[in-house]
Amino acid sequence: MLADPTMQTLLDARPSAIAEEPAWLTDWREAARQRFVELGLPTPRNEAWRFTDLRPLRAALSAQANASISPSAGELTPHRLTDAHHRLVFVDGRLDSAQSRVGLLRGVWCGSMAEALATRPELAEAALSAADAHDARPFAALNAAQFTDGMLLALEPGVVMDRPLELVCLRMTPSGPPVQLRHCITLGAGSQATVVESAFGDGAGCSNHVTTAALADQARLTYVKLQAEPDTALHLAELRVQLGRAAKLDGVFLSLGGRLSRQDIQVALAGEDAELALHGTYLLRGAQEAVIAPFVDHRVANCRTTELFKAVLDDAAHGVFLGSIAVREGADGTQAHQQNRNLLISRTARADTRPELTIYADEVKCSHGATVGDLDESALFYLQARGLTPAAARAMLIDAFAAEPIDAAALPPAIRDWLHFHLAAWLGTGEVR
Amino acid sequence: MSDILQIDGLRARIADGRDVLKGIDLTVRSGEVHAIMGPNGAGKSTLSNVLAGRPGYEVTDGAVRYLGQDLLALAADERARAGVFLAFQYPVEIPGVNNMYFLRAALNAVRRHNGEPELDAAQFLRVVKAKLKLLDIREDLLHRAVNVGFSGGEKKRNEIFQMAMLEPRLAILDETDSGLDIDALRLVADGVNRLRDPARAIVLITHYQRLLDYVEPDFVHVLADGAIVASGDKTLATELEQRGYAHLGLAA
Repeated sequence: MLADPTMQTLLDARPSAIAEEPAWLTDWREAARQRFVELGLPTPRNEAWRFTDLRPLRAALSAQANASISPSAGELTPHRLTDAHHRLVFVDGRLDSAQSRVGLLRGVWCGSMAEALATRPELAEAALSAADAHDARPFAALNAAQFTDGMLLALEPGVVMDRPLELVCLRMTPSGPPVQLRHCITLGAGSQATVVESAFGDGAGCSNHVTTAALADQARLTYVKLQAEPDTALHLAELRVQLGRAAKLDGVFLSLGGRLSRQDIQVALAGEDAELALHGTYLLRGAQEAVIAPFVDHRVANCRTTELFKAVLDDAAHGVFLGSIAVREGADGTQAHQQNRNLLISRTARADTRPELTIYADEVKCSHGATVGDLDESALFYLQARGLTPAAARAMLIDAFAAEPIDAAALPPAIRDWLHFHLAAWLGTGEVR
Repeated sequence: MSDILQIDGLRARIADGRDVLKGIDLTVRSGEVHAIMGPNGAGKSTLSNVLAGRPGYEVTDGAVRYLGQDLLALAADERARAGVFLAFQYPVEIPGVNNMYFLRAALNAVRRHNGEPELDAAQFLRVVKAKLKLLDIREDLLHRAVNVGFSGGEKKRNEIFQMAMLEPRLAILDETDSGLDIDALRLVADGVNRLRDPARAIVLITHYQRLLDYVEPDFVHVLADGAIVASGDKTLATELEQRGYAHLGLAA
């Protein structure tokens, strides 16, 4: 027995694993389980969690399981990215094949992890171990020990997927042990893909997803994440990416849901001339709390990072930005710029922001900054002096603030419109520009 | 001609400060152009801000009637929808808000107020094209964020363009000539002249007489230390230009 009852509950509640797992996976999971036990659950002394109220986290993790409800296709419809030719839908940690479809593409393997383990175990093994063998954060380790399924997307060198792949992670269990998916993306040299991951759910349950991606030389990945779980849920997620020479990741995040949510983003720039762009907006109201924690590791020379995250915080919401860029010894010629801007639209909302730069190389161009402010009074008056009601003027300014990262990101128009739709729905403006 | 604006004994101050306006009386009728001139600190901007309803000012006495209703009882946005337009001395830059999007929202707010149907994007664009032609303004200004990266002249012309789109009954132009070179001033003045209309009143607030070389006012008032100390026709402006505010016993 572990001293921590919440941890014990989590480990005891191990969901039924993928049928007939190979021996290497069992060992891999056991190592992860050990790591989770060693790392333990976060405490207030843990730097990565020090701004977060951990009580709701523990409460959600200790909750007992309830029966799950099967969602109908109709419930999914409003969330869907229209015009997605490839779609994988996971409901409560399992592939829902009725709602999924993937067109056949030469040089592309795409399907569930369970299917990959049964039919292409070598692909699954390579993908699971590719991005980074170590799950250094407790929830990533827990996910490795317990994930029930996930997506595997593997592109052969030079293959370009011109249509986005939509990855819907739906959680219908209103409480109980976390729903845990592990998605792996491996892009061969020069290949290109766009993956749109969305998380929706029902009730006060808990999700703990990990997505890893390994990009070979000159590969390009556009990764979009929409987190729109109910504001009673616990949502934990990690994106972990390794970039080869001249590879490029465009990461775009829109986070609206969850009582408590945390998005870790771990990117290693491991090949020269690799490029990273991270753009994100998180909008919180009521008693919502969110942590956005991008860690960018410039391991080699001549890589570039631009990062812009914006928060809109209403009511008694609490937004935390923990941004860190490390420039290793020898990573000369690095260009890295990180910005976090927070808009407080109520007197009781709170923002904690800690953008950090750690530089061990010479000849670098790096900057970081953070702002916390409220709506510009003179802009509000200007809009009202042209006839907009105070509410309309506020909504217009909030929308403009929140939309900047989405508009600045390199995105196909259909995906940009879809993100604007969700943004407008949150704001209650309902108008897509 | 009917009264559009009637100001009686208006006293006002910046919140918690001293009185800046110390008893203004002014009547503006439909179709008229009034110029209000005065040295720095006379209360020119306070007057325009109080009329537009900017927060941070306090009316301590007097009354303002606009088309027969109590203007001071209306919030700033209600005044705007009712047809009061303030061209800002310092137009505000609003990053991320597209000029066209903003203006369509504003125009539709006014139209709703007037019981007119809202314009869709295509209808709006037709109105925009017509007004652009009238004012000789380049279309690319419209596709940028409101006033962001605009030159001083472009900002002022954008104000006049907004005025043309919103078709106010009462337009108050607060130092619209300030900071403009002579070419920009001419363009702005041409725009104002084209918007002169028998159904509209225009109040030009200015420090210098030079705008009045291009926009000929029907009446000129001199504002000094919070009160109108002299009124006359356009020759008063010329006199001020030649002899200065000091001639009237005022600090320049």
